[in-house]
Amino acid sequence: MKRAWTLVRRRMVSSIPVLLIVVVGTFLLLEMASGDAVDAYLVSLGGGDAGLAQSLRESYGLDRSALARLWLYVSALARLDLGVSVAFNRPILDIILERLPNTLWLMGSATVLAFTLGTLLGIVAGAKPGGAADRALSVGSLALYAIPSFWLGLVLSLVFAVQLRWFPTAGIETIASGKTGLARALDIARHLVLPVAALGMIYLALFLRMMRAGMAEVWRQDFVLAARAKGLARRRIVLRHVARNALLPLVTMLGLQAATMLGGSVVIESVFAIPGFGRLAYEAVAARDAPLLMGIIVVSAVLVIVVNLLVDLAYAWLDPRVGAGEASS
Amino acid sequence: MSSFQISRRGLLQGAASIALLSALPGAVHAQEAPQGGRLVVAADSEPRNLNPAIVASNAVFFISSKVIEPLAEAALDGEGALAPRLATSWEGAEDGLSVTFKLREGVTWHDGKPFTSADVAFSAMEVWKPLQNLGRIVFANLEGVDTPDDLTAVFRFSTPTPIQMIRNALPVVTSVLPKHLYEGTDIASNPANNAPVGTGPFKFAEHRPGEYYRLTRNDAYWGEGQPKLDEIIFRILPDRAAAASALEADEIQLAAFSQVPLVDLERISKVPGLKVVTEGYEALTYQLVVEINHRNKILADLKVRQAIAHAIDRDFVVATVFLGFAAPATGPVPQNAPEFYNPDVPEYAYDVDKANALLDEAGYPRGADGNRFQLRLLPAPFFSETRQFGDYLRQALADVGIDVTIVANDTPAHLKAVYADHDFDITVGSPVFRGDPAISTTILVQSGIADGVFFSNQGGYANAELDAIIAEAAETVDTEARTALYNDFQRIVAGDLPLINVAEWGFTTVASARVANVGNNPRWAVSNWADTGLLP
Amino acid sequence: MKRFVLRFLRSPEGVAGLILLSCLVAMALLAPVLFPRDPLAIVGRPLTAPFTDASLPLGTDRLGRDVLAGLMHGARASLLVGIFAALVAILVGAVVGTVAGFAGGLIDEALMRVVDAFQIVPGFLLALAFVSVTGPSLPVIVFAIALGAWTGPARLARAEVLSIRERDYVAAARVIGMHPAEIAFKEVLPNALPPVLALVSVIVASAVLIEAALSFLNLGDPNIVTWGSMIAEGRNVLRTAPYLSIVPGFGLVLTVLGVYLFGEGLVEGMAHRRRRQ
Repeated sequence: MKRAWTLVRRRMVSSIPVLLIVVVGTFLLLEMASGDAVDAYLVSLGGGDAGLAQSLRESYGLDRSALARLWLYVSALARLDLGVSVAFNRPILDIILERLPNTLWLMGSATVLAFTLGTLLGIVAGAKPGGAADRALSVGSLALYAIPSFWLGLVLSLVFAVQLRWFPTAGIETIASGKTGLARALDIARHLVLPVAALGMIYLALFLRMMRAGMAEVWRQDFVLAARAKGLARRRIVLRHVARNALLPLVTMLGLQAATMLGGSVVIESVFAIPGFGRLAYEAVAARDAPLLMGIIVVSAVLVIVVNLLVDLAYAWLDPRVGAGEASS
Repeated sequence: MSSFQISRRGLLQGAASIALLSALPGAVHAQEAPQGGRLVVAADSEPRNLNPAIVASNAVFFISSKVIEPLAEAALDGEGALAPRLATSWEGAEDGLSVTFKLREGVTWHDGKPFTSADVAFSAMEVWKPLQNLGRIVFANLEGVDTPDDLTAVFRFSTPTPIQMIRNALPVVTSVLPKHLYEGTDIASNPANNAPVGTGPFKFAEHRPGEYYRLTRNDAYWGEGQPKLDEIIFRILPDRAAAASALEADEIQLAAFSQVPLVDLERISKVPGLKVVTEGYEALTYQLVVEINHRNKILADLKVRQAIAHAIDRDFVVATVFLGFAAPATGPVPQNAPEFYNPDVPEYAYDVDKANALLDEAGYPRGADGNRFQLRLLPAPFFSETRQFGDYLRQALADVGIDVTIVANDTPAHLKAVYADHDFDITVGSPVFRGDPAISTTILVQSGIADGVFFSNQGGYANAELDAIIAEAAETVDTEARTALYNDFQRIVAGDLPLINVAEWGFTTVASARVANVGNNPRWAVSNWADTGLLP
Repeated sequence: MKRFVLRFLRSPEGVAGLILLSCLVAMALLAPVLFPRDPLAIVGRPLTAPFTDASLPLGTDRLGRDVLAGLMHGARASLLVGIFAALVAILVGAVVGTVAGFAGGLIDEALMRVVDAFQIVPGFLLALAFVSVTGPSLPVIVFAIALGAWTGPARLARAEVLSIRERDYVAAARVIGMHPAEIAFKEVLPNALPPVLALVSVIVASAVLIEAALSFLNLGDPNIVTWGSMIAEGRNVLRTAPYLSIVPGFGLVLTVLGVYLFGEGLVEGMAHRRRRQ
């Protein structure tokens, strides 16, 4: 427990400079942009004169110098204030917190699906390297890995939502249904099936391949050879020795993939019209809403830091038990 | 009536696919709809301000027009093609210095307070004139509004103001706000801007950001037996492909503003239970325009502009980019505005040889690589059609030896490049014709407009004759004389080509066959839907 | 080397990848020969179905552009984006990693924090923001993709450099008085590079996919044809003319597959070689 706290504390301290780099870097990037959110807003009005634009810019502080705005931003951020979105005219933190749960559900489910199914299939493939199951899964997973997720999403929605009508085409829940409790949870789950499948497939393939590769590596190690020499049942060797040792790198990979998956949710949430964090990012880009985009990037960075911390904690918790088996290395 | 017929004829000039769609049985004529039901509609954006008195844009009207009403709505027939809403009559004085509105009796706001002329006076003086994007133009010379009694409002102008323009502007610029909720507050940041209170057939119930808007029936609505529906839900579906799928799965019953892509219409019109309606956009005409930077020496030459006009195959554009759901344009006023439309203007038939000859004449022979000169084209990113026409234009100009590079920008960058920095050679734009040339059309060619005003002449074009006509029309009270001036305006623009009008288009609605009374007025998508119903 | 090639050729994955990639490269190289016209040129009736017109074997798109020409030229663009993004990412990553690993101390610390910063921001989000800010053109897209991909090579290069810099020949170079920068880039970097190059296939594949996703969100270069832009174009007609997005979609899948398989083959070839050492 004490070890865990030290880890958390150390991580938090080391994250601060990294976050600062993210903030300054993003700020500089957005400074390069031509046109700002006020322009984008005026188009939605169908035009507007210079006076209106000027007063809007003043009210959002867009007329100040870049350095002054950066300083204001960083100091507000220190008070957990992300500012006000120009496109939505609301506090950014509110908007993000409203959208984040949907994305966390989407990513969480996709991760669980990809991790469990990927690991299991990986074990099947890795149990007998070079076997028929191994070859089939290997090729199959590569093909999955190569399919663009937005494309998969379109096809899934076409087949299972529009043609077969098994699942809804879009959204996170039935709108204004008045459902609560379990009924609502089931409703949300039904809406999540297709997007989760579209988002998770690529990671399923990834975990499958890693698991298989990891197992192939472990098979060759001395302690497995020793176990086989002792005449232990193959099934027991596969599960107790090989699979468990191959699992560790996957846990690390979970953390590394968090950022990629968050990026992937941008496209998936657009295809399935899910009011999530990823789509918000696209909306912010389209509306040239620099403060909102800043907020999104900062929050996603924090999110990735937290996920990695959790992964590290899980790793620290898993490691000693597994370490016992790793006498040879 | 006439405007509707012309629109249809215009559409029929296009591809054959339209014949099939128009043959669909009676979507337009009044149907008897039963009471009750929930209509779920696709919406592609969430305006940050839902107040149509401040933001007169179609995205805002689409939702808020059911809640907040104007003085009058556009109609297929009736006096001046208007249907009375909160006003029952309007009359301009001979001298053009005042307009008198008689208001409807017995109307209450959604919060129960009575609607009176004080609300109209407040909206006009405190909101439309100073704050609204279009009202700032229409009511620029509005001096004051007198309210002799609760049901009369007299608008006083400092200079003669044509009643024709005021009338044409009524549906768009006169959304009335409740004075008792806005008076003494900061109007631009009033919370009612995002939870509007009006007199319309539906009350604003809730907004779940990213998910939906919900409107519920106003039981105290003044229209007898209206509204029909219990509830309207605007479901946010920003992805165009999503709307078609949701319609087919009956998750939504209606998608307006061509949210179902044109290319999908022929297929979807064959899906049982769905109908495609092209009516209901006659007064919402968008124009496909090639804007030109006259600061570019090459483009300042009329022959070059004429050559470009001859190089564009308008019929091909209508048939391919718009799949027939548009009409070729002849000038700056669309055929959908019969009050003003002048067909007797110089035309530029598709003629590659003539275009080549004109360019040779202008002194730009083809070089060794077959090209005469290079241009940078900035297609506006507002519609997939403007982008696609950009792709087409690049090819069409390549045929006459003009090497075009497309510069793709997102909306803010595009606006800055074109309207503020003037950093372009040609652009593809999509201005809207708003019922009267004085509202948003003359500004496209008039000189002396400040830098940075969007959707205005930022190409550096200046024509004293044209400017004089525009100025004169703005103060001509007599409707006939004013219309004649706009006929000249069209002739000069079409002849001198400050910009090139290519096509004009409305939108399409796809709805469940159960939705009754779709598209029965020229601004249907942004009207109040009081008679819209759901058949069992 | 000969052994390596033999090993590579013995792995079925590697051979399949090699065949796929050769086809793609052939397509890319032959595109301007077979279809000298701009693939964006309008050449026929819009939405001609495939196999109905001998001169347009794969039919035409919404504006009447030749799908086959687009496919061939698209192969070119997709491969170019993939390869250049990988080159930039590896180059930048290797240099940063080498400098960090070799210099150590504060420079190392600072550079690695920058690497951390890039790693915790989703690469796609970064590419999205970058392209929308600077305007979509091919070099911008390549750079935007590389922006999210250089951290992997940087970390790997640094790890390699850390192990190499203590070796004898580096010490020897120090003794004869070579400039540290010279040592870093002449002695250390070339030796640290091979493991980093193993990342090429992953980066190329993901670059191809990211370019497609950007085009899908309308952030591609409008002056050239890429498979991503063809899918995005065809997406609006997905139900009416599904071949318009299916054909380039398969192109994408096969490219990414080819790159991965080829990478597998390389890894297998190298793995065997290593064990022998």
